[in-house]
Amino acid sequence: MTVTVSASGLTLRYGGTAALDEVTLRLTEGVTGLLGPNGAGKTTLLRVLATAVPPDRGAFSVLGHDPSTTAGRQNVRRALGYLPQNPGFHPDFTAFEFVDYVAILKEMTDRGARHREVRRILDAVDLSEVRGRRIKRLSGGMRQRVALAAALVGDPGFLVLDEPTVGLDPEQRMRFRELIAQAGEGRTVLLSTHQTEDVAMLCHRVIVMAQGRLRFEGTPAELTAQAAGRVWSSAERDPAARAGWRTGLGTFRNVGDPPEGADLLEPTLEDGYLLTLDDASAEVAA
Amino acid sequence: MSTTWHVPEDDLRAYTAGELTAPRLWSADTHLAACADCRALLARLADPVALDAGWERLDAELDAPRRGFVESLMVRVGVADHTARLLTATPVLRRSWLAAVAAVLLMTVQATATVSPGRSPTLFLALAPLLPLAGVALSYGPVLDPTYEMGVVSPLHGFRLLLIRTVAVLTVGLGLNGLATLALPDYGLRALAWLLPALALTATGLALTPRLGPVVAPVLVGGAWIGLLLTADASGDGTLAPFTAAGQGVAGAVAALGAGLLYLVRDRFDTSTVRFTDFRQGGAG
Repeated sequence: MTVTVSASGLTLRYGGTAALDEVTLRLTEGVTGLLGPNGAGKTTLLRVLATAVPPDRGAFSVLGHDPSTTAGRQNVRRALGYLPQNPGFHPDFTAFEFVDYVAILKEMTDRGARHREVRRILDAVDLSEVRGRRIKRLSGGMRQRVALAAALVGDPGFLVLDEPTVGLDPEQRMRFRELIAQAGEGRTVLLSTHQTEDVAMLCHRVIVMAQGRLRFEGTPAELTAQAAGRVWSSAERDPAARAGWRTGLGTFRNVGDPPEGADLLEPTLEDGYLLTLDDASAEVAA
Repeated sequence: MSTTWHVPEDDLRAYTAGELTAPRLWSADTHLAACADCRALLARLADPVALDAGWERLDAELDAPRRGFVESLMVRVGVADHTARLLTATPVLRRSWLAAVAAVLLMTVQATATVSPGRSPTLFLALAPLLPLAGVALSYGPVLDPTYEMGVVSPLHGFRLLLIRTVAVLTVGLGLNGLATLALPDYGLRALAWLLPALALTATGLALTPRLGPVVAPVLVGGAWIGLLLTADASGDGTLAPFTAAGQGVAGAVAALGAGLLYLVRDRFDTSTVRFTDFRQGGAG
């Protein structure tokens, strides 16, 4: 697959901490999930790739444009849709007015064409019925869809979504996943999330970050495979396990390095993720 | 209603194209309302593409955002539709803010007129330059603009957005100051001595923003202004130094320097002034 976004050696320090530490990655069309605990550097990586802050070191390119020059940055921004972690709204704007405002920021100056585009996008995210309603009167799920519509307006080739499913109830989350899956057709989408289910359901690639560094890059199946032979069941919590919990069946599910003859279980993406993080912190401690 | 007269086909064609003129248009309108046959013929004659386009135009007009009073006024005096829209999102141009600024000015003017009638309008002159500085500082940046981050990563250059808003806020701010000046006729032209300091403070505050941040820069500049006035007040009597002819000259020079510096650092407004976000779950995620 053609690489659409690539970065090498991205580093950004804040005080003594490296929020990004030599991050190198390549993205292709489709949805790539970005997993990591709080403080892993996910938001910083997304803000750098979205050209909100320049990195201290390293370079990246988006759809062939180099953001280190003014003209290149402009071109990256023309190809970018960005949903920040805490998307802000002008609460007195209606959904239509807000997306229209973002469309103006995206240089759509022809009123007729812009309004047609805003209507198309609001239809696409199922908000046509409430497009005239003020944002402060919309539910959390609807607001999040307004923010997605603002990111999607102008049909950008690179979509950066920072934890868009946080705070949504399961039904809203499912609906949102459908929208992201649709958005991933013919586009490069980088989706930061805490939810391994988001990754399992949506992503063709997954990246795991911890302490500002990339810890894993591959397919969700490959991340799951990190835990192959490292998940087992026992009647009591196995003290050798790195993590263990009692399941609904009353037995314990352990992840780590199983003792000999252990009753091995089929690993999940979550197991693979937990072990990748655990290996990362063990490496830091060592 | 039965009738032997019907709208001629040529007229109906002209009617669908919107080209039929009065008084034939009135006859056609009245007749079409009553005659189903003519309406059927009209539907057959209408160009479906033009009809769809007509519906789309109607649809578009129906749910296009309604322009508020100020926005309509701006469009009417020639401001481009999209620029007017950008300006309506400027927090300090909202009515509540404007009302607050007007109230502060009103109180200052009243205090000035009662405390030192006929002498020097010092209180007013000291405060008036701070209002445009505060207005401009608050209209751009993460403090009051909830969509700041989305704006930064948009292709519209950050400096352009800053200039659009600054010009708008300055126009309104200086306008209000000007009105307040009119309320102090006893002082004559002396009451206008706030203008150059206002421009100097605003330009310097903006020029320092990329280096010091959107909060520290205007606070520092505002603080320096107050400090300067207090020093001037302690060191002499009569008109405070910034409001003398020499002081005005210096203010003009600082305004020009600030504007020049601002132009030099314009590209720094193209990335976020917030280097790190410290979000709800803690940590520099």
